[in-house]
Amino acid sequence: MTMQAKIEKVGPQRSKPLWQQPRKWIAGYLFAGPAVLLLIVFSLISIVVSLYLSFFDYDIIARGGPFVGLGNYREALFQDELFWTALWNTAYYAAGVVPGITIFAFLLALAGHKVTYGKGIFRTIYFLPSITPIVIISLIWVWLYSPGGMFNQFLKLFGISGPNWLMEAPIAMPSVIIMSIWVHVGYYVVIYLAGLADIPPDFYDAAKVDGANVWQEILFITVPLLRNVTLFVTVTLAIGAFQVFTQIYIMTLGGPGSATTSMQLLIFRQGFQYFRMGYASALSWLLFAVIFVLVAIQLRITRAEQIV
Amino acid sequence: MSQQSLTHVSPSTAAQPAQRRGAANFHLGTVTMYFLMIVLALAMLFPYYYLMVNAFKGTRGFAADPYSLIPKTFTLESILYAWDTGQISIYLGNSTIYATIVVVVQTFISSLAAYAFARIQFPGRNLLFMGILATMMLPYSVLLIPTYLIIWGLGLANTISGVVLPGFASAYGIFMLRQFFLNIPMELEDAARIDGASRLRIYFQIILPLAQPALVTIAIFTFIGEWSSFIWPLVVLSNNKLYPITVGIALFRGEHSMYYDRVFAASLLATLPLLFVFFVGQRYIIGGISLTGLKG
Repeated sequence: MTMQAKIEKVGPQRSKPLWQQPRKWIAGYLFAGPAVLLLIVFSLISIVVSLYLSFFDYDIIARGGPFVGLGNYREALFQDELFWTALWNTAYYAAGVVPGITIFAFLLALAGHKVTYGKGIFRTIYFLPSITPIVIISLIWVWLYSPGGMFNQFLKLFGISGPNWLMEAPIAMPSVIIMSIWVHVGYYVVIYLAGLADIPPDFYDAAKVDGANVWQEILFITVPLLRNVTLFVTVTLAIGAFQVFTQIYIMTLGGPGSATTSMQLLIFRQGFQYFRMGYASALSWLLFAVIFVLVAIQLRITRAEQIV
Repeated sequence: MSQQSLTHVSPSTAAQPAQRRGAANFHLGTVTMYFLMIVLALAMLFPYYYLMVNAFKGTRGFAADPYSLIPKTFTLESILYAWDTGQISIYLGNSTIYATIVVVVQTFISSLAAYAFARIQFPGRNLLFMGILATMMLPYSVLLIPTYLIIWGLGLANTISGVVLPGFASAYGIFMLRQFFLNIPMELEDAARIDGASRLRIYFQIILPLAQPALVTIAIFTFIGEWSSFIWPLVVLSNNKLYPITVGIALFRGEHSMYYDRVFAASLLATLPLLFVFFVGQRYIIGGISLTGLKG
């Protein structure tokens, strides 16, 4: 009797729920604590503050401002022409950079994968711009793009007098796009190379038996098998492209006129030059909404493709 | 260059005898490929060459011939000017301080959290971890203004602490290190626990030494990211004595746009530390990126 009671007592005690044994898990909170606390402050509280601010006409100098409801959003959507210009410019930039980098990185990785000699050297060289601060790269490219710079000297060889790349409205954004492709392509080459290394050679052997040529191999084996890598690349690029700031700030400051003013530059100006932090917050949420919808569409398309 | 590639290619075709129809065809394809890759590699390297050439032309030499690729003059004048009068040395010092602080603190804090999420059972663990992953989805754009207001509210605007504090926690770092810790055999830790070692001792004496490659990878990425960061220091600092190199060089360029040789010299000084880190840690960088891509 007593033995059994003891056993019964011991049984449930051993499987006592975790939360009743603080000695076991308190260390978990202590270890995770600092990181979690920082992330709560700089992510969770930040998000709440930002959303809250977007409903106020907050002025940092006056340390306050009146509640305006959806006023900031209304102003951006219906009164601020610059908002639509900046959104258009940002979409233009993304439309150039995302497919541009994806295609170039894929092709370069294909070539780099096939190459037997100097693979590592090529990869290192292509990767170099990714570890150079964009500020520095922008400063170099400002000179390359200058009226007498390298690009125009090259065109001069063919008797063409080149434009002022960063100062003429129709050509300024394409110039920024070309420079940005040059900067980022190497990073994505490395990602594609890792993806290519993961494709089992059997697939290609089977295709060769069936008499497929190189292009058919690429189109029907490589591209479909790298679909997840491509999804990662395009989503990452799109999120980054919609927040483009540094190269524009250094190379054109949004000009000429507002031809290269991006959303992030507009947010920076409203928030930190005109000190309209409420309005800038509303702009950042509108940008977030655009990014969110785009990424959702990208995921949707990839999933639909996978079902087919 | 292309001739060099030709001599390089021939052994490779010899090693793969007639696998494809038409060895000559294959040969031509390979040569074209090498040729294109070399041309593109030169296009990638060109701006760096340009940077070097112009940094050493000197103010007079540069003014006399600002666009030539083969310099007629060589002098350290622009470099010395940028370093000293241009205060680039101060900005480089600041960047080194900021990047070092963030690397050390962030790697430590992230690895502590990663250890907890990988190895310790505690109530709400999975929920917290999902929350941390969710913060990776937040665009920087939305966080910039509230982060500034929080730092400003804490009285840290325009201070060193204000620059580095938001960089201390990294969801990405926690995620990567947790993945690594999960792969360390549990037996090692169990044995230490039976011997009566505390969690903290296990973390310092077993986990950290084993996780060294992952820690180095995270540290290098953080260093490069901090060194290159622009918009945050631009926003949070107003005293130019505290500027990191990125913001400092933008200011320097504004003051010396008439003497672009000095801007090139300053740019060269700003790039060298990162090139050094890159060549020392290249193995870790490439490995780390490959991992990210595959996880996605």
